Amino acid sequence: MLTINLFNGLVYGALLIVMSSGLALIYGLRRVVNFAHGALYMLGAYIGFSVAQYSNFWVALVAAPAAMAVVGVLLDRYGFRLLQDREPLNVMLVTFGLLLILEDLVVFIWGKSNYSLFTPELLAFPVNLFGNEVPAYRIGVIVVGAVVALGLTLWLRYSRMGLFVRAASTDPVTTSMQGVNTDALSAGVVGLGSALAGLAGVVAAPFLSLSPHMSSDVLIDSFVVVVIGGLGSLAGAFIAALLLGMMQAIGAVYLPEVSVLLPFIFMIAILIWKPSGLAGSRT
Amino acid sequence: MTLVRTGALSLLALAGGAAIMLLTPSSSLLGMFTQAVIYAIFALGVGVLLKQNGLVSFGHALYFGAAGYGMGIILSLDWMPAEWAMLVVLVAIGVLAFLIGLVIVRVPGIAFGMLTLAIGQMVYLLATRARGMTGGADGMSVNWPATLFGVQQSVLLKPAILFMVAWTVLVLVTFVLLWILRTRFGAITEAIRDNEERARFIGITTTVPRAAVYALSAVVTGIAGLMSTLNTGFVSPENLHWSVSAITLLMVVVGGFKTALGPIVGAIVYFLFKDLLGDYATHSMAIFGAALIAVIVFSPDGIVGAVQRLRKRGSLQGGRRHASGH
Repeated sequence: MLTINLFNGLVYGALLIVMSSGLALIYGLRRVVNFAHGALYMLGAYIGFSVAQYSNFWVALVAAPAAMAVVGVLLDRYGFRLLQDREPLNVMLVTFGLLLILEDLVVFIWGKSNYSLFTPELLAFPVNLFGNEVPAYRIGVIVVGAVVALGLTLWLRYSRMGLFVRAASTDPVTTSMQGVNTDALSAGVVGLGSALAGLAGVVAAPFLSLSPHMSSDVLIDSFVVVVIGGLGSLAGAFIAALLLGMMQAIGAVYLPEVSVLLPFIFMIAILIWKPSGLAGSRT
Repeated sequence: MTLVRTGALSLLALAGGAAIMLLTPSSSLLGMFTQAVIYAIFALGVGVLLKQNGLVSFGHALYFGAAGYGMGIILSLDWMPAEWAMLVVLVAIGVLAFLIGLVIVRVPGIAFGMLTLAIGQMVYLLATRARGMTGGADGMSVNWPATLFGVQQSVLLKPAILFMVAWTVLVLVTFVLLWILRTRFGAITEAIRDNEERARFIGITTTVPRAAVYALSAVVTGIAGLMSTLNTGFVSPENLHWSVSAITLLMVVVGGFKTALGPIVGAIVYFLFKDLLGDYATHSMAIFGAALIAVIVFSPDGIVGAVQRLRKRGSLQGGRRHASGH
């Protein structure tokens, strides 16, 4: 019972890693809390669902993030870049307006009914894990989370573009004076972050059902993750995502009555202790 | 604006409300006005937080719904008369919000918004899953007594009377808020909002006043919540849902948060607009989302700000014309 719950906690934690690393990347570079991130996640899931209807899951796994990357680049070019001198609060409210529009768009195109995406055949078999039967697909979700975490870390640490991203996150003005095209860089990073939201949506679709309400739950959990982790910190977000997933899983076993409250109690405890989050130093 | 002038304007506003009540022909229209007035109080609560603290709350539905639930629970347990219960509920909301505020106003402004959303949604989930008295996802009815403040319930719930009660509460809340913001407390919170570090340097403790503003805004929102349950006789988790907070925030921003009256304008515009939309109301959220973006891009200080700018420009041009005439 406990192992299977811990396993499910790890699965949800992996999903949160994919979601919140996108949020953290966008915040790091643009200083924008993207409320539309949840809508991009939902849009990714629905587009994945429709693509999978006509072809298969694997095409959807590529197509939905690609579509969201395009949306992200446009969002940066015609949204964040034009609003970059505005107060962060204003930009946050703009993304919030965007969330309302995109949620309505999803209802307009796909209707209000719930859908679910079938698990791809390649991964539709049970695996024996410590005496428990678990779906192979869920192991796949954990792998995706691990690959995203590792990939982003290596990219930021060892690639030239990663260096630029780190530089621009610390000081965009000086970075652009050194000859880095920060506008193009931002468009790329917001595109990447949005693609990650789309990826999270497709990956979640076979085990969480598709509904017009799917965005708010995951968005709120991702917010908790990036706040606990420290805004804009990727490593903090990874740790917080795993902790949150585990906490919900363990809570479901021992404290089923209050398991929905645990993440928030945890968050408040962390913030009393450290207002800027686990890995946060910047404000 | 001096206190006397504010008081005179309040009396004028009360008379205006009476005129609206007498001149509105249909009771369904009055019902809509009542709802608009209740949300105007709610928006005042969210607006005062944004104006005095510079903080955006995405979770004030928490206090809106909590007032209803508190009232419903106390009345069904028959602990005390409804009049006292209202006071107890508001005091409890104020204390609770102050304690929450002490924790969450310390985080950077942007994280604050995310936290209020998370806390609000936590309570929403708790209310949907609760069993027993509060009725879980189905909600609970609030059994108001037969007489409230010596007025028969049948009289009180007449659309015209209820509108006038809500309107009076709105005017009173606005008056009290304007008065509080004119005191030293208002000046201190503005100083902290503009530059917390400097405020600390001149010897102001910064966390407590900000938590107090948060509590004040929660109490105002709680008043709106009480009025809403009086209006509907019902409270459900829907009152706590984050979309309620979102709609109210939209009213505040569209109306303009830099002035005290902007949120009221926003709430009235919202309800008139929603009524005009009629058949397109299924897509109201998308339309309001687009309106929100448009307002922020073109007039960040909302409708009231835009009107003020137009008036200023108008008077400047008038002055110039006058000068060139000489």
